[in-house]
Amino acid sequence: MTTPHHDVIAARLSDYALGYLTPDERREVEQHAGQCDACSQELSELLLVMDGLARSAEPVVPPAALKQRVLARLGRETQEGVATVQPLPGRTVVADVRRSGWSGAWLAAAAALLLVAGGSLYLALERQDRITSELARVAGEITELQQRLGDNAAQADMVLSILTAQDMRRIDLASAGGTQASAARAYWSPTRGLLVAADNLPVPPPGRVYQVWLIGSGGGPVSAGMLGSLGAGRGLLIAPPPGGISTGPVTVAVTDEPPGGLPAPTGGKHLIGSL
Amino acid sequence: MKGKPPLQVATDKGVRADADARIVARLAAGDMDAATELYDRCAGQVLGLARRIVRNEGDAEEIVQDVFSQAWRTARAFDTSRGSVIGWLLIMTRTRSIDRLRARQSRPDTTAESYTDTLRAPGPSPSDQVLSDEQATRVREALVALPAPQRQALELAYFEGLTQSEIAERLTEPLGTVKTRVRTALMALRQGLRA
Repeated sequence: MTTPHHDVIAARLSDYALGYLTPDERREVEQHAGQCDACSQELSELLLVMDGLARSAEPVVPPAALKQRVLARLGRETQEGVATVQPLPGRTVVADVRRSGWSGAWLAAAAALLLVAGGSLYLALERQDRITSELARVAGEITELQQRLGDNAAQADMVLSILTAQDMRRIDLASAGGTQASAARAYWSPTRGLLVAADNLPVPPPGRVYQVWLIGSGGGPVSAGMLGSLGAGRGLLIAPPPGGISTGPVTVAVTDEPPGGLPAPTGGKHLIGSL
Repeated sequence: MKGKPPLQVATDKGVRADADARIVARLAAGDMDAATELYDRCAGQVLGLARRIVRNEGDAEEIVQDVFSQAWRTARAFDTSRGSVIGWLLIMTRTRSIDRLRARQSRPDTTAESYTDTLRAPGPSPSDQVLSDEQATRVREALVALPAPQRQALELAYFEGLTQSEIAERLTEPLGTVKTRVRTALMALRQGLRA
C-alpha cells in the first residue's frame, strides 16, 4: 500500500541519484527510503546505474608525469584524522601495575601514566595544529574535535597537577565486602584534586555505576564524581577538589549508585581507604 | 511492484570488498605504497571520466590530482561497507568535473549546494552496492543501445550535470518530454543490471 508521500518520494529517486536535490530534499528521500523497501531497492539500483555510467567513460592511459605530480602532492599533504584524539591511556598503566606487583611499583606506574598521558598530550597538540588548519572549512567537525582534544589535554594536565602537588597524599583503597580483591589507589590534593585508579573491580550490580566519595573530618560524604570505566574491571577518576573537604584526615570511598550518581551515597561500598 | 527479481550478487564482490577495505585502511594510515597502488589501479578511469566531462586535457589532469588528494586526506572517513573505492573516486571525479565545467560555461549552480560525494542508499546489504565488472559492462551496453533521444537526455544529465529544465532549454523540448526520456533511459539501464 502506498501513501501520497511515498509517491512523491518515489518520483524523486532519479533526481536524488543524479544529484539534483538540495540537502533537505536528500534527507527526506533517505529518511523515507530507510523505511520503504521498494524505494530503497530502486534507489540502490539507481546508484549502481550511476556507478555504471561513471565507468562507461573510456579509461585512458595517464601520462607518466601525472603520476609523479599526484604522488608528490600526496607527500605534501596531511591527512584528516578522526582517530587523532587519543583515549586516556589507562590500559597501559594498569597492565604495568599488574606485572610489577604492588610493593614499591605504584610510583613507577604513576610515572608511566604521566609519560603516556604526556605523550598523547604532545601528539594531541601537534595534531591539533595540523587539524585546525586542514579542517578550517568544516566548522562542525572542528568544534567537536577541538572539544575532545581539549578534554584530553585538560585531563592530562590535571593528572600532572595532582601528582606533583605539595599537599598531595596517597591513600590505598581496599575492597570492602565481597570476595573480589580489587586493587586501587587514590591521590588526594586538597588544592589540585583527586585521582583514583582501580583495577580488578567487580562488575557493578545491574544498572548501577561506581561513584567516588570524599569524607573529611566533621562532615558527611561529598561526591568527587563518577568512576570512569576503562573496561575489563578498570576504573579511573580525575576530578578537581569538591568543595567542603578540609585539609586533614580524609576517607575515600567508592559505592555503586544509579547512572549519573546521587548527592549522597545509597549503594553498597566497594572500596574504602583512609589516611 | 511485486515480483521483481533480486539483484544478483556476484561472488567476486565479496573479494573486491575485502581488497577495498584493506587498501582504504592502508591509505588512512598514511601508507604511500597504498596510494601508488590505488593510482595504478584507478587513475585511468578517473582521467577517462574527467576528460569525458570537461573535454580539456589540462583541466582533466588537475581533476585527477584533486581527486586522489581528496581520497588521501579523507580516507579515514570512508566507509567501505557502503560502496566500492572506484565508485567513491568516480563520484568525486564527476562532482569536481561538473563544477569545473559549470565555472567554465559560467553556468549558475542551480542546486543549493554542489553534489554530495557520498550519495548512498540506506538499508540494503553492502554487497548490493558494489558494481561488478560484468554489471558495469551491461550498463554500458544498455546505454549504447538506447534510442538516441533518451541517450542524449541521460548523457546531458549525467556527464554535464544539467538539470532537466536546463536540458529542456538546451534541446528546446518540453520539460515533460525530457523527464520521460531520462526516466525511461534509467529504467533501461536498471534492467541491464539484472539481466
